Amino acid sequence: MRRALIVVALAAVLVLMVLIALRLGAAESSAVILREIRGPRIVMAVMIGAGLGLAGTVMQAITHNPLADPAIVGISGGAALGAAAVISLGVGFGGPVVAAAAVLVALLVAWAINALSRRDGRSEVVTLVLAGVAITAFAAALVSVLVSTNTSPAIRSLTFWTSGSLALSTWSGITAVAPFVLMGVIVVALISGSLDPLSLGDRGAQAAGVDVKRTRVGGLAAVVLLVAAGVSVVGMIAFVGLVIPHAVRAILGPQHRLLLLASAICGALVLLIADTVARVAVQPVEIPVGAITAIVGAPVFLVLLLRTRARQGGWA
Amino acid sequence: MTLELRQAEYAPRGRTRLHATSLTISPASITAIVGRNGAGKSTLLALMAAEVRPTSGSVFIDGESADSLSAQSLAQRRALLTQDQAVSFSFTVRDVVSWGRHCWAGTSHAQHDDQIIDSTMNDQGVAHLSTRLVTELSGGERQRVHVARVRAQRAPVLLLDEADAALDLEGRHHLVSTVREEALSGTAVVMVSHDVHRMFTCADRMLVVDGGRVVMDSSPASIDRKELARVLGVPEL
Repeated sequence: MRRALIVVALAAVLVLMVLIALRLGAAESSAVILREIRGPRIVMAVMIGAGLGLAGTVMQAITHNPLADPAIVGISGGAALGAAAVISLGVGFGGPVVAAAAVLVALLVAWAINALSRRDGRSEVVTLVLAGVAITAFAAALVSVLVSTNTSPAIRSLTFWTSGSLALSTWSGITAVAPFVLMGVIVVALISGSLDPLSLGDRGAQAAGVDVKRTRVGGLAAVVLLVAAGVSVVGMIAFVGLVIPHAVRAILGPQHRLLLLASAICGALVLLIADTVARVAVQPVEIPVGAITAIVGAPVFLVLLLRTRARQGGWA
Repeated sequence: MTLELRQAEYAPRGRTRLHATSLTISPASITAIVGRNGAGKSTLLALMAAEVRPTSGSVFIDGESADSLSAQSLAQRRALLTQDQAVSFSFTVRDVVSWGRHCWAGTSHAQHDDQIIDSTMNDQGVAHLSTRLVTELSGGERQRVHVARVRAQRAPVLLLDEADAALDLEGRHHLVSTVREEALSGTAVVMVSHDVHRMFTCADRMLVVDGGRVVMDSSPASIDRKELARVLGVPEL
């Protein structure tokens, strides 16, 4: 009961933050500014943030790894590469084709890391994370080649892809991304009932009646759908997917039914706050939103890491 | 027949881990699997649990071919306690025990979930730990919680893989009385254990595994102890 109230309170804070974000900005809050600039930017922040919070929670559950995150395992890097690749072929920035390309390459990455990190029917956490490091570096290198050899402004900058920015949010960008995020949410709903017993590890969960393969494949697909299309319009935003589930778990406990909902709300809230700070803190210039999430997220993550390790007596 | 192996062989990539084995496990019985490390005990148990498919032959659980059963239907027919008892996140004891009921979700049996969870926690002596975090428990307490979890599955077959390995004497004593209770209520219990002396007193039947074969299969009373000592690599038992 108390926990349900906390979730309601978080949702209320999110609504409040949307109202505040609408009023803050360099320009006067005219109808046009609200409708065409701040409005889509706020909606985008809420959608992408919610997707990142959900995706991080699912990723940590299916890998049994509290350190897993869509960016760490290489899924976001693959998405950025897919988007930059089709843009370099002349497709305009921010449309459904770019979003679909991001999803496709990210799916390929998800399939590859799953295949690479699995041996004898088990998932090796260290291999998963290290494979992600290699894939992220590889994807970033290819993106930098594409960006530096392409003169079209549609391809954006390397900083855009690696640090993320919500400044280019438009309603058409939102309509390109939303269907993928919605599909991701549906897949998460389908597997959510199996995520708690999955904490027993693959073998224990399978013995308890969880279809581990279906849950893992569904989970990876959901993570890709929730994150990759978003990367195609805002670039890679780190630490939200990693930190949010930890913070929410510390408050609400690890039961996924509530955790998923609260992680979505908190992800939206945190990205919206970060983006609002990004655009109003040092007017008229903007700080990349990914820089803000990392500046706040990295220390928080370190604290969470030390506290969790102390409680669990190591990672095992 | 609760559990049946028909010429079940496990030889992945041509390496035989268990030679063709036929045996049946009856309800309301306790079967102990003993043998040296690497003898094939865990492979035999994994076949019984349908965790691995036999490379030839077949396994029947509760009258159904294990091949045709989904993870959920398998879990309704057999409960398995593995040695790995880590839980990834800080769930409460009651949460963990409730996962024993996961395989009944969406069936008419699910309406008794709360009652079964509570009574199983009582039987296992972990009811007072209900709201404690499983990550904060001692090894012995955590073991009891996991045993409660697999008992809550209410499956006709209960398989325990060295469940006594990390337990002190009190814990082992408790485990044996638990297993006896289960057998009395009709469950077919199969336990892999190195504690041969305790198995002499608690099991109805001993399967001795050596070199990937079941080399002895008899009641503890009629087993050739000299031969068993030889197989286990000790001077006497």
